[in-house]
Amino acid sequence: MGKTIAVAILSAVVGAGLALALMRSAGAPASSRSARTADGKPDFNGVWQAINEAHWDLQAHEARAGMVTQPGVYPSYEFARVPAAPVLALGAAAGVPGSIGVVEGDGQIPYTPAAAAMKKENGENWIDRDPELKCYLPGIPRAMYMPYPFQIVQSTNKIQMAYTFANAARTIHFDKVEGPPDDTYMGHSVGRWEGDTLVVNVTSFNGKNWFDRAGNFHSAALKLVERYTPITADAIRYEVTIEDPEVFTRSWKISMPLYRRLEPHAQLVEYPCIEFAEEFLYGHVRKQPLVRRWEGETMIVDITRKVPPGDKFHDWYRR
Amino acid sequence: MKGRLLVVIVVVALVAAVAGVVKLTGGAATQRAASAGPAPRTAWGDPDLQGIWTDPYQTPLQRPAQFANKESFSDDERAALDSQRAAIPRRDQRVERGSERDVAGAYNAVFQSVRPTGKRTSLIVDPPDGRLPPLTPEATTRNAAEREYRLALLQPTETCKKKDAACAGGKYGSVSARRNEIPPFYNTGRTNRNDGPEDRSMAERCMGAVLPDFGGYRRIVQAKGSVSIFYDTGQGQGWQRVIPVDGSPHLPSSVTQRFGDSRGRWDGDTLVVDVTNFSPKFSYQAARENLHLVERFRRVDANTIEYSATIEDSTTWTRPWTVKQELLRQDEQANRIYYEPRCHEGNYGLPTMLLGTRIEERAFAKGEGPDPATKDTATDFGNEGGADALTGAAGAIF
Repeated sequence: MGKTIAVAILSAVVGAGLALALMRSAGAPASSRSARTADGKPDFNGVWQAINEAHWDLQAHEARAGMVTQPGVYPSYEFARVPAAPVLALGAAAGVPGSIGVVEGDGQIPYTPAAAAMKKENGENWIDRDPELKCYLPGIPRAMYMPYPFQIVQSTNKIQMAYTFANAARTIHFDKVEGPPDDTYMGHSVGRWEGDTLVVNVTSFNGKNWFDRAGNFHSAALKLVERYTPITADAIRYEVTIEDPEVFTRSWKISMPLYRRLEPHAQLVEYPCIEFAEEFLYGHVRKQPLVRRWEGETMIVDITRKVPPGDKFHDWYRR
Repeated sequence: MKGRLLVVIVVVALVAAVAGVVKLTGGAATQRAASAGPAPRTAWGDPDLQGIWTDPYQTPLQRPAQFANKESFSDDERAALDSQRAAIPRRDQRVERGSERDVAGAYNAVFQSVRPTGKRTSLIVDPPDGRLPPLTPEATTRNAAEREYRLALLQPTETCKKKDAACAGGKYGSVSARRNEIPPFYNTGRTNRNDGPEDRSMAERCMGAVLPDFGGYRRIVQAKGSVSIFYDTGQGQGWQRVIPVDGSPHLPSSVTQRFGDSRGRWDGDTLVVDVTNFSPKFSYQAARENLHLVERFRRVDANTIEYSATIEDSTTWTRPWTVKQELLRQDEQANRIYYEPRCHEGNYGLPTMLLGTRIEERAFAKGEGPDPATKDTATDFGNEGGADALTGAAGAIF
């Protein structure tokens, strides 16, 4: 069941690069805009993006040499690890940037001991486990700080948020509606205004999402309270209180700014990742594998991917 | 012509079937106040299109031949067609128990709920005969090349041996060398080959939704300068669309997208949306990257949006054509619209189908089974229960 993944990662990197390249050159902001909607609320309409490293790891972390690493010439030194085969061909573009983190307070995520062990294991098996790599719906809050723009369409009793990644979306209801008929990836969002702060309670999760690429995770018991507070007309303070007694010993909080994309005519450009992930997901059941050893002068990258035996992943992930 | 009609019918049936899955039948779902009231406006003064909307009626895309000169049905005719349709057993009938064909019966009557007959005899209102305009010679050639390839792959199957309708134009014979060829165009339909995901239909790959969409449910949310629509369609293959209504230009022509690039403007009370920049990887009818849509949304009263789409592609059709339908407002509170399009997250069918063929290939190589090339994995054997009263067409899930 060895599976080759370089193509999937390349697609993601190239796709993200393309999306950036496609953005028209930025000029002056499209005229000064009213900071209020017709009903007097802060105007969050527009295209937004988090600009931080939370999608790699919510917690403070050092930069590292590769998205996937292996021991270098000093096998016992964690800091001397080198990029591993899946991303080696990407050179300096394969690394992970460092971050001061977005977890408030002491910066720690209060896992139960069992959950802390699961998180560590998740990180070590990132490629096998992270739902992002499979192009699954990213969930909330992860969709809010992935490295892609998203759009807010703000009406009086509904807000729709459209995310570039996987064409994901959610509707925030201000009026009374029944919850969804089943647990969901994207949650059920109910909003209210507290002064100029938009407060959204998000529930009905199916527990299949992660928070980031470091393996931080939650269960179906997750409950979120999101708070959106205007900093300026073009920046929002985004705070999320996270509660999940199955996984955490207490509630905890992340906080980050969201920035308005000020390019004239900023818009979302499709990132159709279902097709991007097909080789990653189904390459091993093709008649003729598309990704093979390279030959001649070309780099040869052989990758063996195995889910470790005795993996507790399914116990946690599918219960 | 017949093949093309079949494709159209399959698409219509798919849309109808899928809408039925999401919410069982139309009648009860329609929230129609006794008095509809005037079309409302948003707080910022735009016509208000917001809410959950669907066309709760069964209307074929093309007008069936027997209604050639008839644009609409009388109430009596609708009632008669409804009772005829109700008498059709549909998919509860079984065929050759234990056979592979019988597996299609898993999509039984529950998946085949029928909506009441609509007032229109066809969604197409222009050309006035309610039929798709003729294809251009170029499109005819394209379609023929694609059909020829599909038939070559179907050649060694029972379907051709028995001269089933799916093999029309083809012949029964040994495994064709064309099986090793790349398809003439990027494949979007079911091909009788399982070499990789690209041999399967877009629906099987969970990318089946297309624009224009005349079925399913849509939730519209508006803001000043943008209209956002979530389409709940295609058994969890729904998608999110944001239409800029701010005078901005289309994306550069070098950027194509699966659902194209939409730009809206208000023309009086009508939202007019121009859609271009479609991807060559996806198809609507016989059109791909040259598809151009002009959609119109107008709320005629509190509970009704009149929707029309003019569909144009000079490389495919000899003239533009127009579809019109009335979308009726649905209950907000019940939240029946199933927001989450998670077909892909649960797509065990696609890899299992590929894996199954790999296993069959290994068995065949050892002389322990038939050549997988002789099995038909392209034809939909569904709707054993009978033809639709309105269209005379067989139904289909994919």
